[in-house]
Amino acid sequence: MTEYAIDVANLEKIYSGRSKKALDGVNLKVERNKIFAILGPNGAGKTTLMRILTTQITPSKGTARVLDFNVFSDGHKLRKEIGYVPQEMSVWTDISAYENLLIYSQIYGIAKAEREALIKESLIRMELTEYKDNLVNTFSGGMIRRLEIACALIVKPQIIFLDEPTIGLDPEARKKVWEKIVSFTKESGATVFFSTHYMDEADEYANEIAIINAGKIVSQGDSNHLKQSVGNQEIILGLSVPLDDKSKQQLRKLEQVIDLKTNGVEVEVWVKDASVALSSIMNSLFSSKVKIESVKINKPTLEDAFEKYAGVSYDSTEGIKEVNAVRRRIIG
Amino acid sequence: MDAIDFDLSEFLRVCYAMLELEYFRVSHDRTELYIRAVQPALWLVLFGFIIGSLRAIPTGGIPYTAFIAPGVLIQSATTVAIFYGLMIVWERESGILKRLLSTPAPRYVIVIGRALAAGMRALIQSLVIFLIAAIVGVKFVINPINFLISLVIVLIFSAGFAAFSMSLATVFKTREKFVGIGQLIIFPLFFSSNALYPLTTMPAFLQMFAYINPMTYAIDALRGLLITNNLTGLSTDIFAVILFTSIMFYIAAVRFKKIVE
Ligand SMILES: Nc1ncnc2c1ncn2[C@@H]1O[C@H](COP(=O)(O)OP(=O)(O)O)[C@@H](O)[C@H]1O
Ligand SMILES: [Mg+2]
Repeated sequence: MTEYAIDVANLEKIYSGRSKKALDGVNLKVERNKIFAILGPNGAGKTTLMRILTTQITPSKGTARVLDFNVFSDGHKLRKEIGYVPQEMSVWTDISAYENLLIYSQIYGIAKAEREALIKESLIRMELTEYKDNLVNTFSGGMIRRLEIACALIVKPQIIFLDEPTIGLDPEARKKVWEKIVSFTKESGATVFFSTHYMDEADEYANEIAIINAGKIVSQGDSNHLKQSVGNQEIILGLSVPLDDKSKQQLRKLEQVIDLKTNGVEVEVWVKDASVALSSIMNSLFSSKVKIESVKINKPTLEDAFEKYAGVSYDSTEGIKEVNAVRRRIIG
Repeated sequence: MDAIDFDLSEFLRVCYAMLELEYFRVSHDRTELYIRAVQPALWLVLFGFIIGSLRAIPTGGIPYTAFIAPGVLIQSATTVAIFYGLMIVWERESGILKRLLSTPAPRYVIVIGRALAAGMRALIQSLVIFLIAAIVGVKFVINPINFLISLVIVLIFSAGFAAFSMSLATVFKTREKFVGIGQLIIFPLFFSSNALYPLTTMPAFLQMFAYINPMTYAIDALRGLLITNNLTGLSTDIFAVILFTSIMFYIAAVRFKKIVE
C-alpha cells in the first residue's frame, strides 16, 4: 500500500473526433485520508480527470493509479472500492429514495443480510429516513444530492469522487451536504476528491487544493500555501499622528518587513505572513511611543490565487448556470 | 478495457437489479401503461371490426380481430421496446449512465440487464393488450403452456428490440431525433409483417421484406400458440427470434462504449 490514494503521471486525454487535448499531461498525487479539491475554469478538464479516475473512459496517454489499482487494467477491482457522484445527477427520480438505495446496493452485490441495515444507516446519516418512501422527483436539490451521496457511500468506499457536489444548492443546503461528507470521512478514513465552483468550500473543507487550467495542473498545495504563493500580505495601520523618519527606519529594519509606505496617519506594511510579523511591528511602534488606532490586514484570497494560476479571473456564475440548466432539465 | 471474465452470479445479480428497477418504475406510474393501450385497442376494435366485416382477407376461417390480435400485441410490445432507447438518452444526459459505469457491474451486463428490463415492461404492456383482446371477444387457445411460451417469446423479442433501440441511442443522441426515428421504424416493420394479412396475399417484394422482418416470426409464433394452435412453424419462429435478439444484444454491448464517451 503506497501512501497515495491517487497517483497520476503525464495523463493525456483527447476525446475521439476532437483535436484539442482535454487533459494535457496531468501530474497529480493525492495522499490518503485527505479531502482534496480540484479547482479550475469551465472546460479545464476536471470532469474528464474524474471520469478517467473512476474508470469510465480511458486516457489517451500516461498512467493513473487509484488506491494502487491501475485504472486501465484493474478497473473491475477498483470499481468495488470507489464511490462517485457525477456533476449532473445519478439517481432515478421516478422511484423512491429507498428503492434507489436498494438498486445500488444490489448492483454492488451487498449481501441480502446486510442490505437493510446498511440502507437504514445511510438514510439516517443523510437525514432522509422520513422521506425514504417518497418519489425522488418530490425532493429538493439538497435532498437529491444527499441521496446521491448516500448511494455512493453505501458500500463504504475507500475513496469518493464528487464532481461539483453542491452546485446550485443554497448556502444552507451546501453546508449540510458538507457536514455529512466530513463526518463520513472522519469515521471511515476515506479519501475525498472533489471539484467545485465554490472557492469558499475548497478553502474551508479541503486539506489540499490543485488548480487545473487547460488540461494541466498549474498549482497544488494547501490553501494557505496557495494564497501566500500569490504575493505578500499587507498590514494597514492607522496611527494618531504621522510616523516620523526615525520610527520609519526602525520599522524597515525589521526582518519580516518587505516594504513600507506612509500616507498621512496611515502606514502600509508588506510582509510575507502577517500573523508572524504583526507582533514585532507593534512592539517597534510601541517602543517609539506611537499610538495605534486601527489595524487592518489584507491577505491574498484563494480567488487571487485562482486568478494568478488559471489566468482568468474567478467567475463562478457561468459554470454554475450551465450545470444548473442541465440539472433543471433532468429533474424537470 | 478489462479482460472479460464472465461471472454468472454477477450477471444474474445485475440483471435482477435492473428488472427490479423497472418493476418499481411501472408500479409507481401506470398511466403510461394505459395510454399505450389506447392505440392497440383501437386497432382491434375499429380496424379489426371494419376490415373483418369486409371479409376481404383470407384468414383461414378465424375471425379477423383474432387474426390481427397477435400482431397488435407484438406491435405494442415493440413500441415500448423501441422507445426504451429514450430512457437511455435521458440517462446519458443525466449522470446515471456515468454513475453505472463506475459501479462493479460490467458494461455488457448493464446493456443486457436494461434490455431485459425493457422486455419486462413490454411484457406487462402486452398483458394489458391480451386482456383487451379477450374483452372484445378474441377466442384464445386455452392452454397454459402455450400461454407461457408466448410470454417468453414476447419478453425475448422485446428485449432484442430494446437492445436495438439502445444501439440507436448511440447514434441519435437527442430526444427529438430519437422520437422521430422510433416512429419511422415501427410502422414499416408492422406493415411489412404478417400482422394484418397472411404472407401469401402480399406482393412478392413485400414478402421478401416480411421474411427478413423479425416481427413476422414473433407474430407467427404467437398466432400459432394463442389463436390457431397450429405449431408447425414454431421452432423456426423461436430460432429466428432468439437469433435476432442475440445479434441485437451483441451489437448493443459493443456500441455501448460509444454512448458514454
Ligand atoms: N464527452 C466529451 N466529448 C468530447 N469532448 C468533451 C467531452 N467531455 C468534455 N469534453 C471537452 O473536454 C474539455 C474538458 O471538459 P471537462 O472535463 O468537462 O471540463 P470541466 O469539468 O473542468 O468543466 C472541454 O474542452 C470539453 O469541451
Ligand atoms: Mg465538469
